[in-house]
Amino acid sequence: MAIKFLKQDQLPAFLGYLAEKARVVAPVKTDGVVQFEPWTAGKDVELDVLLAKQSPKEWVFPQTETYLKFQYSTVVPEQSDEGEDAAEGAVPHEMIEVESLNEAPTQVIFGLRPCDARGFVQMDQVFGGYGGFYFDPLYNARRAATTLLAVTCRDPRSTCFCAALDGGPAGTEGVDALFTQVDGGFTAEPLTEKGETALGFSGFADATDAQTSQADSVKSEAVTKVDAPFTLEGIRDNLHDNIEDKGWHDLCMRCISCGTCTYVCPSCYCFSINDELVEAKGERYRVWDNCFNPLYTEETSGHNPRAQKSNRFRNRFSHKFWYYPDKYDSLLCSGCGRCIMHCPTRIDIREVLQVMGSPRAAASGEPTEAEGKEA
Amino acid sequence: MSRQDHIREFAAKALADGRVDYFIGWKKGHNASEVIPAFVKDPADVEQLIWNPLCHHNLVTFIKRNMPDPVDAKIGLCVKGCDSRTLVSLLQEELVDKEKLYVVGVPCDGVVDRRKLEKEFADELVDVAFPEKGKVVVTTRKGETKEFAQAEVLLDACSHCRYPNAVYADDVAGPLETEPDREGTKPDWSDIADYENLSDDEKQATLEKVYSTCVRCFACIHVCPVCVCWDKCVNRSRQPELVAQKVGAKENLLFQMIHMFHVAGRCTSCGACDRACPVEIPLHLLHRKMNKEIYDMFGFEPGTKLDEKPVFQLFDLNDQFGD
Repeated sequence: MAIKFLKQDQLPAFLGYLAEKARVVAPVKTDGVVQFEPWTAGKDVELDVLLAKQSPKEWVFPQTETYLKFQYSTVVPEQSDEGEDAAEGAVPHEMIEVESLNEAPTQVIFGLRPCDARGFVQMDQVFGGYGGFYFDPLYNARRAATTLLAVTCRDPRSTCFCAALDGGPAGTEGVDALFTQVDGGFTAEPLTEKGETALGFSGFADATDAQTSQADSVKSEAVTKVDAPFTLEGIRDNLHDNIEDKGWHDLCMRCISCGTCTYVCPSCYCFSINDELVEAKGERYRVWDNCFNPLYTEETSGHNPRAQKSNRFRNRFSHKFWYYPDKYDSLLCSGCGRCIMHCPTRIDIREVLQVMGSPRAAASGEPTEAEGKEA
Repeated sequence: MSRQDHIREFAAKALADGRVDYFIGWKKGHNASEVIPAFVKDPADVEQLIWNPLCHHNLVTFIKRNMPDPVDAKIGLCVKGCDSRTLVSLLQEELVDKEKLYVVGVPCDGVVDRRKLEKEFADELVDVAFPEKGKVVVTTRKGETKEFAQAEVLLDACSHCRYPNAVYADDVAGPLETEPDREGTKPDWSDIADYENLSDDEKQATLEKVYSTCVRCFACIHVCPVCVCWDKCVNRSRQPELVAQKVGAKENLLFQMIHMFHVAGRCTSCGACDRACPVEIPLHLLHRKMNKEIYDMFGFEPGTKLDEKPVFQLFDLNDQFGD
């Protein structure tokens, strides 16, 4: 498929073209904070700040998603004098009316990064029925209606580590069309049919040889700016072997056990389900949850198998690099580094994997005194 | 001898003597623009401890309920003036055991707000240096360098600081900073004047807007040194479900109102919640307003005297209840 070129000043017109047929979501700076939000004419797309605070996950997997509405009522049938059978049917009875919701507007996410797009591909496994597990109609409807137009990371951050996870600043996994900033604008490569459709805007020109070769050098230079602080080889086995290692206690000392890392993450997907009932009307919604939340594992009996901070801390990394790969044949991390940037105490996932993803001395495997004590 | 040297010396001695199991201070983060809490167990590791105006973390967070590991650890820690007041709040309520603590007070002339620095650049910060007193030099990944006067990039909380020195400590890291005249002056609440001048409707609209971006990560709750319910937090309760788990402007406001009421009379405006919030919500707004009300009604400044009790734990017939 031919590579195209879009002049910088044509970007708003291009987004306007997309907005005629779809909701356009893009990184926008408000009061100094960059977040993905619906784009409307006049809003500047922020691409200089490499990563929005949160990944665009919210737009495919909303933090709060109401999917059922229900209403209780009491049905009082009309009284009839004819025969015993009819009298039985005339007993007032409870009734519940249920309405299911599954909102999946056509949308285009522009300005996400290759790691953000890869996060969706990783989540696709758990929601998409991989391995015979549950197929989630809510997620999949939104995902199918979404086009991802990613922008190459020209200047990766020091916290980026996509390269250690077989990704890269110009990675194409999950990307429908990849834009790369070059002199005067962007080159745009359609990678899927959806991408091809999105690039139907008349303001595109065919990229010149000079523009494509500049895009190539932007990409290859960007790759050299990403660190690979660890190798994946052996991490899964070592996390398994180190599950009782006291290193987990040392690493989590500064963890405050909040959920920031999971809520800025492009691939953390846990949620809880809640019913809210006001008088006879209610709704059922799902809302993001995270493995640092005490209720995440608390059992009805009151026992919590992850009673301590260190148990919860261990889960996040083991899930991403051990259990999830075991079950879904995919990592659950794309190396965006948001968890490092936004953690209140800068817990560093790279450090955790370097330490706990390596073989540990057997002697340190002694369970500590505090292990297993109820909090 | 610098404050940093004092801290290292105190830590090494306390660890070597067995007075503490570990010592909490600050150390360099993943690059020289970041500082993170440090947990030192071996006297040989005290060299990693640092002191500079980036040391914003209130380390009292790490001694509150469920944070120590093991649970009965003897802990040494550094406290700035503002941090020490939250420690006194915990001691007043007997929520921590003084006998298990070793407290090093670190006189402080103001903490730099790293987010203010971040906002000056699109690029990532990789170094924040303090070549001389009052001067801050910031370097980005692409090598851009800019100099700031420290006074211009301090945390907002520092502008109304009345306690530059720890109000409670076992040892002090070097000479004290100049104490302001607390007897002759009142706390400065000018930072919330704009909010106070709004009408009720405007206040409601402002609060809903401010909290609309909250993602309920609970960083503000967990980082708060005086917020101690931990796993039993009412905001998490689902049986009964008192606060909707749903994320929305009204629900988020209720969530934050509960935090405000539960720390009323114990919150010292240390600002830890503001700095932990990943979406940069000005959480201090409600807390500062509450602190002002408490000061005006009861003349009470939380966490300043060991022999006081938080104002809502006392009943005094002479209390004045507003107009």
